[in-house]
Amino acid sequence: MTGNTWQRLKSDRYGMTGLIVVAIFALVAVCVWSGLLGQSWSEVSGNRFESVSASHWFGTNLLGQDILQRTLFGTATAFEVGLVVTLCSTILGTVLGGLAGWYSHRWLDEIILWFKGVLDSIPFYLFAAAIAFALKGNPWAMHLAMILTFWTTTARIIRGEVMRIKEREFIEAARAIGLPDLRTIFRHVLPNTFHILLVQGTIVFVAAINTEVILSFLGLGIQDGVSWGLMLAESSQEVLGGHFGNFIAAGASLFLLLMGFNLLADALQDALDTRRAFG
Amino acid sequence: MNGPYLTRRFLYGIPLVLGVTFISFLLMVYFGPDKTYELIGKNPTAGQIMEVRHALGYDRPFLLRYGDYLKELFTLDLGISDSNGEPVSVILKRTLPVSIALVVPGFVLGNLLGLGLGLLAAWYRGRWLDKLVMSASVVGMSISFLVIIIGLQILLCTPYGLNLFPVRGWQVHDPGSYFYYVAVPTLALILVTLGYNTRFYRAIMVDEIERDHIRTLKAYGAGPAELLFKHVLKNSLIPILTRIMFSVPFVLISGSLLLESYFGIPGVGLVTFNAITSGDQPILKAVVGLTGVLFVVALTINDILYSVVDPRVAKS
Amino acid sequence: MTTPALKVTNLSVWFETGPGRLTVVDQISFSINAGDATGLVGESGCGKTMTAMAILGLLPASGIHVRSDGIELDGRDISTLNPAQRRAILGRDIAMVFQQPATALDPVFTMGQQISAVYRRHTEGSKQQVRKKMLEALESVGFSQAEDIAASYPHELSGGMRQLAMIAMATVCKPAVIIADEPTTALDNRTRGLILEQLKQLQKLHQTAVLFISHDLSVVRQICRDVMVMYCGRLLEITDCHSLFANARHPYSAGLLSCIPQISDKRPAQINSIPGQIPAPSDLPSGCHFAPRCSRVEAQCRTSVPALDYADGRGVACFRPL
Repeated sequence: MTGNTWQRLKSDRYGMTGLIVVAIFALVAVCVWSGLLGQSWSEVSGNRFESVSASHWFGTNLLGQDILQRTLFGTATAFEVGLVVTLCSTILGTVLGGLAGWYSHRWLDEIILWFKGVLDSIPFYLFAAAIAFALKGNPWAMHLAMILTFWTTTARIIRGEVMRIKEREFIEAARAIGLPDLRTIFRHVLPNTFHILLVQGTIVFVAAINTEVILSFLGLGIQDGVSWGLMLAESSQEVLGGHFGNFIAAGASLFLLLMGFNLLADALQDALDTRRAFG
Repeated sequence: MNGPYLTRRFLYGIPLVLGVTFISFLLMVYFGPDKTYELIGKNPTAGQIMEVRHALGYDRPFLLRYGDYLKELFTLDLGISDSNGEPVSVILKRTLPVSIALVVPGFVLGNLLGLGLGLLAAWYRGRWLDKLVMSASVVGMSISFLVIIIGLQILLCTPYGLNLFPVRGWQVHDPGSYFYYVAVPTLALILVTLGYNTRFYRAIMVDEIERDHIRTLKAYGAGPAELLFKHVLKNSLIPILTRIMFSVPFVLISGSLLLESYFGIPGVGLVTFNAITSGDQPILKAVVGLTGVLFVVALTINDILYSVVDPRVAKS
Repeated sequence: MTTPALKVTNLSVWFETGPGRLTVVDQISFSINAGDATGLVGESGCGKTMTAMAILGLLPASGIHVRSDGIELDGRDISTLNPAQRRAILGRDIAMVFQQPATALDPVFTMGQQISAVYRRHTEGSKQQVRKKMLEALESVGFSQAEDIAASYPHELSGGMRQLAMIAMATVCKPAVIIADEPTTALDNRTRGLILEQLKQLQKLHQTAVLFISHDLSVVRQICRDVMVMYCGRLLEITDCHSLFANARHPYSAGLLSCIPQISDKRPAQINSIPGQIPAPSDLPSGCHFAPRCSRVEAQCRTSVPALDYADGRGVACFRPL
């Protein structure tokens, strides 16, 4: 990101708030991964449905597990899912989109476009279920399903950008000197699309977390460990009986993180969009 | 509308349909559960195993099995559900109308409201109304569907809230009971889609409003109502239509999936949900295949609509 | 003395930004009589289009400030109209022809529909009457196949035809004043000639006052009787075209004239340019705006603003006119 963009981003109060929120959650996730927080998420440390108290800040759930611990661990899960899916789908989308854009209108492009159309046509949750089926309950089935469907938007964007940049003279010049196609793509074209990838990345992250929540509710998500989705799934029955701990903890965390990301994504988009630089 | 254009769009859909059905076949049938052992008692002999496999068609070549799948889909001979022995096509026929009745009000209202709010925000761009609408949209987008559903349930269906509507169920026999059961799901659907819809429509409208021909119209005395409804809307129809057409299959399936499984409404979504958790393959096979085909159809119709709405498109 | 068709008094347009005020139009005054065509000439960014938009009242409210001591259309001040009143006169008493007809026209309606809409907005009439007027307007700009043009979409017409159709739209209600903003800039020479001819004929026919905006002096000369030279938001010289070309009084006008390439037998064609650059609106020099680039500059040019002394239809804003 160029200095100019960073300046604009810094001056956007909402965007900076979003960035800080996300950073805080990320910090929590790192702490959980390194064993500093949330380690006793499965430990039964109290009675069922204890209410908020000094030793259990959010109370306990059905099994007597501390909800706060579970929420903290859920942060790590959310980030793990988000990062894996975002990274993999972005790489996949960039590679395929780049190839499609470079060989635009030739057979490779048509195949990739066809593949994209097919994947876009399958309703996601059914696809996730189908993959879970095919992989016979492998815990990575969920990630795979998301990666295989989320790459399409990134690919579409990259393909468009590559096709646009292809027209510019400096690429012509590179080809005139005889640089091989693939190197030309990765060396000259991709760095120019970095800013778009950043914005798209935040959007995918949000989608991944949202999707995990629903998949966990359907029983297709996280199999071991705990996530906010699982907590919400638990809470769906509990709230009817007046126990709101799970719901509030997971719901609020989810909302805060998503809000942070959305604000950040918006601010990034505004900062990078030079047309709107003058309001 | 011209013939060659139509045929071209139609032909374009075929490889997509093949692709979709192929993937669904691959995942659900080929890599799907092996039912051999369910149909055999204990200690089967090799010969018995081979018989059963033959009866199930497992020993047929790959492509032929794919062909069978396609045939089943297009003749709607969808087999029998594993869970209750009903023919799948009967199940679908019974549950599809329920899903449609459930999802349509929320879908229509969510889009109409989104369109209206987007228009409002675009017209008053930069002023407080715009900022208010946009902030509300971001908040709306940040609340997970699940949280909305559970939240609404607490607020409207339980003694901890207003307790006006039922927690689950679908005993619909007249408009009154229809409203009673559809109200909360509809509200949930609206709330979840409104944020996204508004932002999308606003972006389109802002683009349109800034165009030169709007300035010309203003220079010739056109008022806000005429500008917005006759010119801006008509020019934005393509992206609007695209969005609506694209989202129909998804809202129908995914929306109904969550709403029905949560509110216990016997539609396609609930059936699918149960099929997912119980591993009822015939149903899943059918739903995945059919919705894929539906989507391609929606895509094609959408392209055709393009050429009707925008006179520039039909020429290319 | 007859009332001028259009009279503008001390019109100013400015932006309020953080650091200060950006003035794009600075106390402009002029008048045009019925049947006369006056050119408004200046380089890109000098405020010509802003002036036109300000006269019509089309500048969006937030951020842009417009002030004047009067904008009179046939003696009636239109600067104080409320939105509904303003919409009534736009297109009927005063109309604008825009620069890029390709984008200025609505792509999803036919020319006939668009022109008819303008007529219907300002007049009562049956469908047949409206259609007749619309076809007449198209014929009056020179279309022999008016029905075909009426049934066509903007993208189906050539650039010149689109501009003519736009002129038809501007004249369908026979307005007293037409503002033409660079109407021929995007066209080739031959079409340009055609358009200018049509404009001249229409002007004589309906005795319309025309404000012709352009950066091209040679085009203005073909159609206008008078010309106003604008620079950085101020009018520097007002005179008739003939006098301007014969002997321009303001150094800037003279500079502009010398920039028009002349092909002569004696010397190879030279391309002159005025030294220096147009200052940005945020960086306007105090005193006369042209002072930094002027070859005749003296001390008071940098400290005080020369007024435009206007006598006998000629005026020049300079302390040392040529």
